[in-house]
Amino acid sequence: MKNTASVQEPKKWIYRHSYNARICHWIVVISFAYLVVSGVNIFLDFPELYWGKVGFQGYPAVFKLSDWGISWEEAGAMGNRRWGRNYHFLFAWVFVINGFIYLSWNLWRKQFYRKMLPRRDELSLRHLKLEVINHLRFRRPRGDAARGYNVLQKLSYLLVLFLLFPFMILSGLAQMPAFTAISPELIDLFGGRQTARTLHVVVTVVLVLFVIIHVIEVFVLGVVNGMRSMITGKYVLPEEEQEQEQEAT
Amino acid sequence: MKKMEKTASLSRRKFIAGAGALSGLLLTGCDTDIYLPPKIRGGLMGVADVLTMASQRFLLSDQALVQEHDVSEITKNFPVWNQANPDDEEFQRLLRGGFQEWKLPVGGLVNRPLSLSLEALKRLPRRTQITSHICEQGWSAIAQWSGAPLLQVLQAAGGVTAEARYVVIDTVDGWYEAYDMFDVVHPQTILAYGMNGKDLPLGNGAPVRLRVERHCGYKNLKFVKSIQVVASVEEIRGGTGGINSDNDWHWYAGA
Repeated sequence: MKNTASVQEPKKWIYRHSYNARICHWIVVISFAYLVVSGVNIFLDFPELYWGKVGFQGYPAVFKLSDWGISWEEAGAMGNRRWGRNYHFLFAWVFVINGFIYLSWNLWRKQFYRKMLPRRDELSLRHLKLEVINHLRFRRPRGDAARGYNVLQKLSYLLVLFLLFPFMILSGLAQMPAFTAISPELIDLFGGRQTARTLHVVVTVVLVLFVIIHVIEVFVLGVVNGMRSMITGKYVLPEEEQEQEQEAT
Repeated sequence: MKKMEKTASLSRRKFIAGAGALSGLLLTGCDTDIYLPPKIRGGLMGVADVLTMASQRFLLSDQALVQEHDVSEITKNFPVWNQANPDDEEFQRLLRGGFQEWKLPVGGLVNRPLSLSLEALKRLPRRTQITSHICEQGWSAIAQWSGAPLLQVLQAAGGVTAEARYVVIDTVDGWYEAYDMFDVVHPQTILAYGMNGKDLPLGNGAPVRLRVERHCGYKNLKFVKSIQVVASVEEIRGGTGGINSDNDWHWYAGA
């Protein structure tokens, strides 16, 4: 009994995030932020979305920013397309190379299998219902139950990593003129480059919503602990409910 | 589908035969500089430019044709974008005369510099293609283009010399762009004088515009004025090989 801290229940540290996961995570944060901001800059210069193979000013649009009170000229004045294009393609490369390193390392180390694949019992309707209710009440697992990801986390991470991110890359490629020669099939897969462009924007909105919820969750769980674990890897397991009394000073 | 493949292989054969007649063209085609822009920007932006161009050029190395559409897919009112009618005295004079006196100088590193009239250009082998015009802003539209392959025009000028690296095209309204031989020899790179079965309309770049189908709209110059073959673009205006790259846009516009 050297000091007062050891009298109390000792903090339970776990090593939560690998080197690779932490570095790749922050590179994704930076590149995703640049991709969204530069993408918005590109969009503002042509603030309409279309469906199918063709689309231009005057062609029936599925979305017009002018319907939302921002005229074509006002939108154009807000965006800088040249800056947007330069940075969009720069950070697309950062994003893709980083993603390739992240995916291959984690597949090789079986990290997805260990950490993100939901167990059978987690996928039962009852358990999923319970998790959703807990999330809506801002109640989170504590103690040993907080060691891994919960099932909603697992499913959303898998969705983003293996569906939405690849979708963004493919729908981006399908808009490039060189791909009409490299792989016209890719463009046909989306039903035309204008559809690919529209879905590129739609999925961006979905991803931004994911980021907002993700950040809210970090605050709900404890921003200091969360940030520390994503920077140093060390994570303090939240104490069990019954031992919630404060530490002695 | 079958039919398209057939035309593809046919024009590929034609391309090889044609390129062989142009001294130097095949050599530059195999060179590593098909992967690099004429002037690489500094910093990370230059790294990204090279990654984009090199990876796409690698995937395009068989010179595959771009997707061609059905007549029924042609866009009814194809947009007129940017320059619609150049405010140039000489051009206005030619326009009034129905471009009868229009001439296209083909010079620089060619064996027989010449000046082509619109009639002479139309007498060259013709290629017609229905393709998507893709603007970097995000819009796209489909039209049928008829014209003389750029390769045929250079052949009419006796082919290019061994030092030739870029074809520089100037326009009436002061734009210019350089194209490397990889794009020049592509069968769908044409100087178009026809659109949707008629003469090229004024708003779309009459009398002749370039179609370089694997690039964004800003490389598909309208109102073509002259063609010059060069070994280097360093001495031309901003020195980057195009008005767009002089202004810090991508030189390679395949993305």
